[in-house]
Amino acid sequence: MPLGIQVLGLVFSAFILYLSFLYYKKKEFTLTEWGFWALFAALFATVSIFPGLLDPIVTNLNLGRKLDFFIILGFMFLIAATFYTYRITRHTDKRVEELVRKMAIEREEKKRNK
Amino acid sequence: MKTFAVIPAHNEERHIAQVIRETRKYCRDVVVVDDGSRDKTPEEAKKAGITVLRHAINLGKGAALRTGSEYSIRHGAEAIVFIDSDGQHSPADIPRLLKELEGADIVFTYRNLRSAHMPLTKKFGNLVLNTLLKLLFGIRIIDTQCGFKAMTSKAYKTLRLISSDYNIESEIAAKTGKYRLRFRQAPIETIYNDRYKGTTPIDGIKIAMMMLWWKFSR
Repeated sequence: MPLGIQVLGLVFSAFILYLSFLYYKKKEFTLTEWGFWALFAALFATVSIFPGLLDPIVTNLNLGRKLDFFIILGFMFLIAATFYTYRITRHTDKRVEELVRKMAIEREEKKRNK
Repeated sequence: MKTFAVIPAHNEERHIAQVIRETRKYCRDVVVVDDGSRDKTPEEAKKAGITVLRHAINLGKGAALRTGSEYSIRHGAEAIVFIDSDGQHSPADIPRLLKELEGADIVFTYRNLRSAHMPLTKKFGNLVLNTLLKLLFGIRIIDTQCGFKAMTSKAYKTLRLISSDYNIESEIAAKTGKYRLRFRQAPIETIYNDRYKGTTPIDGIKIAMMMLWWKFSR
């Protein structure tokens, strides 16, 4: 009988697969992007059904439980996502600022040149 | 020396007309940068017949000062005077600042930091930031956070300012030390129209961290 956590993993994989497919159909994801998330969902589903596949990794990393592996992976993902979001926000901020300042000067100069 | 006064303004419809009127007595070229105001600040400024640059959205004091300065330099400014739009500075001090600028690259001004009118949090914030400035950049500026200052266009270009918000005041002070610019300091009278305007303690923490960045970045 499967463990509750395995069922949860499968549901999560199905949800990711569905969501990425939805975005692909809405043309918000390219085929490659959908492929990436579908592969991620498939891998997650496989590991949920056959957790034994993780044994070599867990043993090599000296982790007590398979769940610890996911917790560490989760933290790493969160830090990476925070860093990525920060970089994007900074970049967008800078571009908006440059644009607004440029527009302010150009608008006034156009008015003066009329 | 062809001088432009740059006045950054955000929701200052109550004071802007008076500030412009007073500033024009001492400076022929006045540039107001309306930083995305939601009130009638730009309309009030335009009535005075001066140059009004408008940021479509609010970017912050630093961005407004940079926009105004770049515009002024493009139009032949040799010196720039920064003055706040809330009426806390007296434009009558401008000639004194320009006189001081003859022997310097930048003129900082300082408020009476012992004044009973100055909010206590601002006094404490100034003390911390000034100490940090001395430690990191080796210069002693009495009042880093005062927005009333004058500088030559050459000095402005040397500073290569990047701050968009209130950090700009500290950035100017820090980079004056970093690039070894010649500076002078002049006392001014200040009227506090709004006790809650300006930097907050959170800004102070951010400025302290940015000082380290300005110190070690190229």
